[in-house]
Amino acid sequence: MKKKKFLALLLTGAMALAALTGCSSGTETTTDEGAGGETAAEGGDGTYRIALIQQHQTNAFQIGVTEGAQAKADELGVELSILSADQDAAKQISQIEQCVSEGYDAILFEPVDPDGLRDAAKAAADAGVIMINIVSACTDWESAGISAVSCGDNVKAGENEMQHVADLLGGEGNIAILTGPSSTTDTTARLEGYRNILANYPNMTEVVAPADCEWDTAQAQATVESWLSAYDLDAIVCQNDGMAVGAGNAAGANSGIVITGLDGTPDGYEAIKDGRITGTVAQDGGMMASSGVEAAVTLLEGGTLENNLIIADSVWVDASNVADYE
Amino acid sequence: MKETRRAKALISEYFIFVIFIALVVVLTCLKPSFIQPSNLVNILKQASINGILAFGMMFVIIAGGFDMSVGSTVAFTGILAAMLGQGQYPIIVPLVVAMLGGLAVGIINGVGVSVGNLPPFIMTLGTMTAVRGLALLISDGKPIIGISEPYKAVAASSIFGIPMLAVFLVIIILICSFVLSKTVYGRRVYACGGNLLAAQVSGINTTRIRISTFAIAGLLAGLCGFLMTSRVTIGQPTAAESYEMDAITACVVGGVSMSGGVGKPWGVVVGCLLITVIANGLDIMGVSSHWQKIVKGLIIVLAVLIDVKGKSKKR
Repeated sequence: MKKKKFLALLLTGAMALAALTGCSSGTETTTDEGAGGETAAEGGDGTYRIALIQQHQTNAFQIGVTEGAQAKADELGVELSILSADQDAAKQISQIEQCVSEGYDAILFEPVDPDGLRDAAKAAADAGVIMINIVSACTDWESAGISAVSCGDNVKAGENEMQHVADLLGGEGNIAILTGPSSTTDTTARLEGYRNILANYPNMTEVVAPADCEWDTAQAQATVESWLSAYDLDAIVCQNDGMAVGAGNAAGANSGIVITGLDGTPDGYEAIKDGRITGTVAQDGGMMASSGVEAAVTLLEGGTLENNLIIADSVWVDASNVADYE
Repeated sequence: MKETRRAKALISEYFIFVIFIALVVVLTCLKPSFIQPSNLVNILKQASINGILAFGMMFVIIAGGFDMSVGSTVAFTGILAAMLGQGQYPIIVPLVVAMLGGLAVGIINGVGVSVGNLPPFIMTLGTMTAVRGLALLISDGKPIIGISEPYKAVAASSIFGIPMLAVFLVIIILICSFVLSKTVYGRRVYACGGNLLAAQVSGINTTRIRISTFAIAGLLAGLCGFLMTSRVTIGQPTAAESYEMDAITACVVGGVSMSGGVGKPWGVVVGCLLITVIANGLDIMGVSSHWQKIVKGLIIVLAVLIDVKGKSKKR
């Protein structure tokens, strides 16, 4: 009985603590003149307050987004608060609601789910906040009150990667594909890009079903080790650099197998330099974020955008130009 | 009559081993490249890290505990090892620091469970979350690159064709099996898990024994963190997600009872090889990863079910 009481006490304590930290993390970046926030919207004290809600902050790509947004905000002299939704759609919805009630002028967010965030975005836009999507977009985003989208194009990035593989193989050979979790739009869009190119090359055959390695290096490494003892592969096409590094470790440096990644992250560049992987398609998260901040400021100043769909191009990086991207 | 009964008892005792052999035979028939030496080396490499984790887990479970935090600990200590393994220190430094880091997490778990009287699930769930956060914090969320060549060579090299990772696994298996089955300490671990109160009454310092089992699991998780970074050549804060589940699976399939006090080291070895062989075999056959998850789940449940049925028939 005593134990139960102790546990209950402990749980209450933990919950109270969580509630407290939840509040403080939401407000930590508001300045001391928080009460004047509403007048600031009209440029009363000259600084706009913008919130960026990222999907998560646990890989090099996302850290690039953080840094790109912060650099642009400093350059333009706006106040930027950065939050992370930790891949949780429900959490991202609460964060948007929280930012609206705190009187932010604009909210940039990377939707954790393309459909699930539409209503929250619409409600925020109706409350007069400028809503902008970066990195990926909500489904039918214009009708969800989103003013602009700054993103890469995953289908095009996938096409870019597979086209380089096709060119390197001369249009024929045995290939295998490593994907991210099959349930995410990143995975399906990149796979769609691959298939668009493969349709033009009937002599490139997928000898095994695409393997879902969950963006994880160790898992990709184990899968490719197993494959290599049973299949004769000419190319291994991976949906991110982490998995390409795993495939490269399994095959060894300069294996003669074309191994490619996507995203353009430091671990991929290191593997390109020592010959474990052939190349990668760089997606510039920092660029997407900084264009998003720029668009927000333009709209807040009453300007209009030439194009409200801002696409950051993807770039092929291999041993010849990897030094420029580190 | 007696002979056949003894044979039957023997078969039910080693049933999981029989299932393992059957699976190997089936896979070899379906895909002959499965049994080639190069693939057997793959299996050894792929089983090593999970095997070492499973042995740490075995101590905890036999003593009546449970550890959810080993996956996070592997990621955390892997980051520590990657940061110290850039070539600035001799290779022993990242190894020792990673193991000490793991040991620290293990001791915290053990103290929380046996002194603070928290349920092991709650305590290690807490450290699992916090230690993952720590890994993200010290790495700034990014993978740590640039580990030195000698460090990469630790996992990539092999002795007489046997991969170095497997050598580590064999050493751990030998030490742990000896400690568990031949020492007084080992018998006390079983006693704690069998009946904690009885163990206490008979004069065993159960607090110290239980803390030590968590410490062993943490120490071995630290070793895995060091090896993992060497194998994938980068330190990743998101690595080793749900490795604790694979380690628990290997224990349970190998006959370690979740209620404590029961389990044999050789069973864990077979359990670990069994799940590695399933993953490897399905990869080789080119089975889609969605089906792999279903098949893996079914085989785990079936293996244990047949094992349990076999044992209950004996009585």
